[in-house]
Amino acid sequence: MTGWVGLCYLYERQPQNIMRRLFFIAIVVLVFGIALTLSAQYQDRFKITWIEPGSGALLPEFDAFDSVEGTLGVLNASGPVNTEGHPFFTPLGTNGRACVNCHQPTYAMSVSTAGLLERWRTTDGKDPVFAAFDGSNCPGLPQEKESSHSLLLKRGLFRIPLPWPPKNADGSAKPVEFTIEVVRDPTGCNTSREFGLKSAEPTISVYRRPRPAANLKYVTSGGQPIVLKTGTLADVDPETGKPVSMNLMTDAREPSLKTQAVSAIMGHEQARVAPSDPQIQKIVEYESQVYVAQQAHIFGGPLAVAGGPPGLGVAALRDHRAGVLGDNDYDPVFGSFSSWKGNDYYRSSVARGADIFMFRQFWLRDAAHINSIGLGNPLKRTCATCHNAQMTGQDLSAGWVDVGTTNYPTWTEPATWADSSELPVFKITCARDADPHPYLGRVIYTTDPGRALISGRCVDVGSIVMQQLRGLAARAPYFANGSAKTLREVVDFYDRRFDMKLTDEEKEDLINFLGVL
Amino acid sequence: MRFGLFILGALVALGQQRSFVSCPIVRDTKTVPCFLAEYEGELYYLGIQQDITSAFHPPQLKHEVLVEGRIASDPGAPRVCGGIPLQPVSISVLKEVNLSCNTLLPAEPGIDAPAAPRGPGPSSLHRTEAANPRKTLTGRQEFTVLYAFNDDYLEFAANAVVTEAAAYAKQIGASNVKVSGYRATTLLSNGDRLVEKAGLAEKRAQNIATLLRGLGVSSTVVESKNEPEPGDGQTDPSRRRVTIVVAP
Repeated sequence: MTGWVGLCYLYERQPQNIMRRLFFIAIVVLVFGIALTLSAQYQDRFKITWIEPGSGALLPEFDAFDSVEGTLGVLNASGPVNTEGHPFFTPLGTNGRACVNCHQPTYAMSVSTAGLLERWRTTDGKDPVFAAFDGSNCPGLPQEKESSHSLLLKRGLFRIPLPWPPKNADGSAKPVEFTIEVVRDPTGCNTSREFGLKSAEPTISVYRRPRPAANLKYVTSGGQPIVLKTGTLADVDPETGKPVSMNLMTDAREPSLKTQAVSAIMGHEQARVAPSDPQIQKIVEYESQVYVAQQAHIFGGPLAVAGGPPGLGVAALRDHRAGVLGDNDYDPVFGSFSSWKGNDYYRSSVARGADIFMFRQFWLRDAAHINSIGLGNPLKRTCATCHNAQMTGQDLSAGWVDVGTTNYPTWTEPATWADSSELPVFKITCARDADPHPYLGRVIYTTDPGRALISGRCVDVGSIVMQQLRGLAARAPYFANGSAKTLREVVDFYDRRFDMKLTDEEKEDLINFLGVL
Repeated sequence: MRFGLFILGALVALGQQRSFVSCPIVRDTKTVPCFLAEYEGELYYLGIQQDITSAFHPPQLKHEVLVEGRIASDPGAPRVCGGIPLQPVSISVLKEVNLSCNTLLPAEPGIDAPAAPRGPGPSSLHRTEAANPRKTLTGRQEFTVLYAFNDDYLEFAANAVVTEAAAYAKQIGASNVKVSGYRATTLLSNGDRLVEKAGLAEKRAQNIATLLRGLGVSSTVVESKNEPEPGDGQTDPSRRRVTIVVAP
């Protein structure tokens, strides 16, 4: 429907001429009829294909999942995957969950609120994805109530319990630069005697979206010995000793796919026994060969076609080299969209959106780990300055940035924390001898301290690792805190945050561009 | 008369050092923004927006900046972006937030930024691998890592120095790698002195030693001088440092 709005808006810009208008209306009616028919076909074909753990399904090399936006492509580059007994698809813990519960191919290897709501209704809330441990707002709540799972059902958020203070690999406490207080606790978990900050094992609960377990060669590439943004050593892969990208997860707390898998099985799956090396190996092998991308769009048609934009579709992701900087005008982040310029209404809009992403300048200001690393504040640049890695639009360097989604006053929640935020609010007070947050100072209100919960550093409060921008149409809502229900809300946030002054047409173009990635 | 005063002023200003703390001013242009700062009623040009690899790291709104620079020796040199250029210039962003530092001037006809290697949008420069231009090092070598005032953040260029020192130490199988940290004083043009915080020398040295160990250099000896280096108002940025001495 976004394309429909764009179509009408485009025509408003044409010269007024009755004959041309009549002709245009006829064309619009025809196109709209075709679109409705296609849409109905998509709706008929659209089945929620929720893979249950242990179902033993055989996944084909290429699969397509339809939605009202079009078709998501899922490519198993190593060939068909037999899920029978496969550790990614088999519960390894005590709560019946497997990796696939939160990383469903249908939803671009993440999970959408639409899918979760459907699952709640289908299973009456009994699906293991709603496990009390982290699939509810807090384990102590009555689990049969839908309201106890509101953050998951409304925003797609799982509870992430993190120890406070953070710990080193050897279990010792890390030094921290700030104190943390819970000033608002709508879930009850952070003030809980059993699960909270003052429990026997002090814990901070934050609520975050699961990231797509796909296209991971891009996410894990680019490790450098010294992190550009901090001037400190990068984490290393405990197995190889080599520096890692630090782009895994919302807070980069796990260095490798292997450690992430072990952590997820011991945590999200509540395993009592650590998974075996062969199991972890198999999980990593599966994750490393699966690619997701929008493959067709209801208005844009097939996306990965000869002569079209070279970066679209799953095969392009499979074939492209990882770790390439795309913040340039000769080999841009998602390839060139010039072949779509003047092609048709929708594709032209997408091409304009690509140009906005790459070339539309605005003032980037007050973004910690962007402006604060020597680039200056403000910085006159474009979306691609930060979303610079080819094919995914992540940051090629360790990508945590405080773009303002979680910290007051730019956060995505209601204007003041005293209002009805669904998320907890923490007050961070930085020590006198620590470097303060570069733009918020020494007292910060936040719904998620992000990287700071791992590093213990004040400058990191609210910094969130950038996400890849592929398969977006299949996995709403957006941002790590699930606050943007639609791509329009994502674009609106950036427009507001950086005063981009986007016109309605530019917003529509950006949305259409993001929708085909 | 006015011309005579101008000549007199220019002679006085010739080669003069300016060290001051003020709010930065950002001036938009048709291309990249210019960064300026005002001191005693005069506007100084600091530099333009560039890339992370640039030697000039611009100041930041919401923060005061310590400017330490030399007025261009050519008295007839034109202003840049409306300010007297300082070259070389050292920029230190002061850590505490100052919301009053918030001046962003719009672009004006006739005020252009100097040519920039990279414009405000994506880069047009094809990256090419450097053909190993480094000179061959032998024997005892000293590497110097410089810092902004009161800061232990390792900027991009300093990152390269540490990497080079580590590579050299490993190449020669260094038996002795000595890391020495310092903190320093800045003598401002108004006669005030700014002293870097206590403990910073040790923190800088320990950070560099940690990096060297992480880069595979095992034999490091760390020392630090907590007594602040004196300031002369001329060469103060060069004393905010860590030295890495690599000996065979």
